[in-house]
Amino acid sequence: MPLCAFSVLLCVTILLSGCDKGIAPKSGEAGFSGIITFIGQWPDSVTRTHLVIFKDPLNSSADFSLQNLRYVSNEIPFGTTTYNFSSKDSSVIPGTGLFEPGEYAYVAVAQQTTENVSLIRADWFVVGVYYKNNDTTKPGTLVIPENTFVENINIICDFNNPPPQPPGGK
Amino acid sequence: MKYISIIFIFILFTGITYPQSLSISGKVTDSRLNPLPNVNIIISETGRGAATNVEGNFIIENLLPGEYDLEFSFIGYESQTIKVVLKDKSEKINVVLKELPVETEQVIISASKYEQRISELPVSAEVIGAEIISQKNFNNLEDALRYVPGINMTDDQISIRGSSGYSRGAGSRVLLAIDGLPFYTGDTGETIWEVIPVHVLERVEIIKGAASSLYGSTAIGGVVNLITSKIPEDQIIYLKSYIGAYDKPSYDEWDWSGEYRIFNGQTLTYANTFSDIGITASFSRLEDLGYRQNNFSKRYIGFLKSDIKFSQSSSLTLLANLFTKKSGNFVYWRNSRNALVPPEGDLGQVVNADRHMTGAIFNQVLSDNHLLKLKASYYYTAWDDGAVPLNKSTTDLFRGEIQLNSVLSNSLILVSGVEASGAEVNSTLFGNPGSVSFGAYASADYKFNFPLIASLGIRYDYNKLDTLNGSNAFSPKLGMNYKFSDKLIFRTSVGTGFRAPTPAEAFTSTTASGITVKPNPKLKSETNLTIEGALNYKPINFLTLDLAAFNNEYYDFIEAGVDPSDGMIMFDNLVRARIQGFEFQTQFDLKEINTSLNLSYTYLWARDIEKKRALKYRPRHTFYSSLNYTLSNFSAGADFRYWSRVEEIDEELINLGLVPDGNLRVEVFVLDLRAGCKFNFGNIPLNIFLNANNVLNYNYVELIGNLAPIRNYSLSIELGI
Repeated sequence: MPLCAFSVLLCVTILLSGCDKGIAPKSGEAGFSGIITFIGQWPDSVTRTHLVIFKDPLNSSADFSLQNLRYVSNEIPFGTTTYNFSSKDSSVIPGTGLFEPGEYAYVAVAQQTTENVSLIRADWFVVGVYYKNNDTTKPGTLVIPENTFVENINIICDFNNPPPQPPGGK
Repeated sequence: MKYISIIFIFILFTGITYPQSLSISGKVTDSRLNPLPNVNIIISETGRGAATNVEGNFIIENLLPGEYDLEFSFIGYESQTIKVVLKDKSEKINVVLKELPVETEQVIISASKYEQRISELPVSAEVIGAEIISQKNFNNLEDALRYVPGINMTDDQISIRGSSGYSRGAGSRVLLAIDGLPFYTGDTGETIWEVIPVHVLERVEIIKGAASSLYGSTAIGGVVNLITSKIPEDQIIYLKSYIGAYDKPSYDEWDWSGEYRIFNGQTLTYANTFSDIGITASFSRLEDLGYRQNNFSKRYIGFLKSDIKFSQSSSLTLLANLFTKKSGNFVYWRNSRNALVPPEGDLGQVVNADRHMTGAIFNQVLSDNHLLKLKASYYYTAWDDGAVPLNKSTTDLFRGEIQLNSVLSNSLILVSGVEASGAEVNSTLFGNPGSVSFGAYASADYKFNFPLIASLGIRYDYNKLDTLNGSNAFSPKLGMNYKFSDKLIFRTSVGTGFRAPTPAEAFTSTTASGITVKPNPKLKSETNLTIEGALNYKPINFLTLDLAAFNNEYYDFIEAGVDPSDGMIMFDNLVRARIQGFEFQTQFDLKEINTSLNLSYTYLWARDIEKKRALKYRPRHTFYSSLNYTLSNFSAGADFRYWSRVEEIDEELINLGLVPDGNLRVEVFVLDLRAGCKFNFGNIPLNIFLNANNVLNYNYVELIGNLAPIRNYSLSIELGI
């Protein structure tokens, strides 16, 4: 009787679980998301704020270029304390909403005080940089593997304690 | 004629003397390869026989060539008949007798700190025997506990009847002890299962429900007491080696390594008694490459037990357990498409841990009715996690206990004692807190003439953790066991439990991945009231039924939560909880067909009754079953586990984006298969076991973002010299 009972049990188990392998990978495209946290008082002079991502490190003001720029988020509203972003959201760059997998050397939140949009390095001020593993000695590299959506790209912008500025600033 | 006479005499001579020199000899051991003395060996055909000596050896001499059926029998063991054919030389055989756990009623020591029959307890208890640990090739005790009715393991954290969720090691509601010596860390208060050398265990005793009246803090949800094997009178060298591999994952995108990941281990144990000193010394090396990336581990476990007999009335047991480990740090998966890969930032992180425990138990028989036990232990733990910045912690934990067992009359047994402990922590996470605690307890069991055993106990505890306010607790209990008939036994108990906060819960201060955990200097002890009613019914010889209903009320339940004033996480007395349920077990033991089947079902209703929602990581339905078949030296079995999908998890971690796809969880179906054989390799008893775990290769999580072990196979070999 126990053998029969167990056999029945086994069959039920296999029927219940055999067609189902349990947890399966979610299908998805490459991308990233995270949270930007602003600490302190926003300067009144700020006219626009964006998350920007550069492919190569900003070793000189020349690296602050459209050729090197891979991502510019939509404008972050003035006075925001936390801002959730995702590559799935619409953005200024790239316009398609698709984001290429790869390695990105510099991820930052940058602000401008000019009235009109400018791509001159000196017109931008970096208020927050993405650091990896809490290592604040150098900017963290954002790695987006193939078919992988990387979450938790969190950035803290402390207006009272701004990060080191890349070359070419005022 | 002369030659014919000589040939005749020669034939006659050889015909008489040659067969007389034949014999059958050998050695009889138990399944753990310990020699069995006084085993009866009878030759069925002749009625002649012998008995084994203290080393388990026997010899039957002066046998003629022929076929003999040798019947081996010994109380408490399954009889075995072996056919031996004698032709022209003597034969040597080795025999392994299998224990009969049903016929020799299980005795346990953990319920009242003295030996009691399990059928006479007022509380629910379980026992894991050494045999099953060998057969299933369990190398970490937490794997064995996963099959115990009423127990859920969430990653490495134990929950007895829903006592615990998951707090990443901070605090435990189940007390682990080894031979009665508490065995939890001084900083986090957690149980580290991997330090336990499972092969030196005779059995594992599990008490379900609050046991604070005897054991104090931490035992609020139950007790797991490890009973180490007795040291044999004669030398034994035990060797074990195993090797196994994880299968390929279900999905190609999870196959991060492109190879079968291997795990293996070796153990060498030496045991002997020299005059009045017995020694068991063991060393194990365990290596697992891991089915997940950066989840490798290398563990080394040293174990020493020594029994020193000073006189007929006094003895000392010394225990030492040394453990060192290096492992990868796998906290959560990267996401469901990379379920076996950690976030990139965790790659390369290595955890180093050293955990060394030493203890001593001095037994002094004061009189025929009084036994004094003095216990002392020291537990050193040190670890670092390889993170940036580095988290590390070092702790020294000292404990001492005086226990007096008194048989006051034929009906009354009193166990009383006092206990004290002190700990010093030096940690980057928890600061440098110190703690002291003191406890005093008394428990009396009274056997009435009608078959009722009443148990009454109370314990007082005082705890002071650094700057936290000192806390007092009285933990009473009352239990009864009523034997209505030989077939029907009722048991019931009511008691309170308490648990003092650990340094990790009160003083953790760290920031990682954008999350800040802050200390809570106002943290208080949590308490509970536990009630159980149960019956054990054996309607027919081969069937045992056990039904238990329980209710646990928890007050000031300590849980991690978000402080709304600053968004930081801290441990707080957040929850008023109620955990109710019932447990139903059936055991079929069909000796005629060498088969046994155990089925158990647990229903758990674990609620935060203020927020009116389920407690985290408590499955409402669990079902375990185990089928075992044994024929002579061959054994085979199948084990199946089912959990319903847990209702509540760490939603905060998912909302903060720390565990991508962390809400993926399913009900659990796990099927394990095993087969084993015991035979002799030359003159050496040898056990071989094959195991296939999670044969359906079902993908599930116990803890969010942590895929449980995928299908794996192992081969283990044990031999005793």
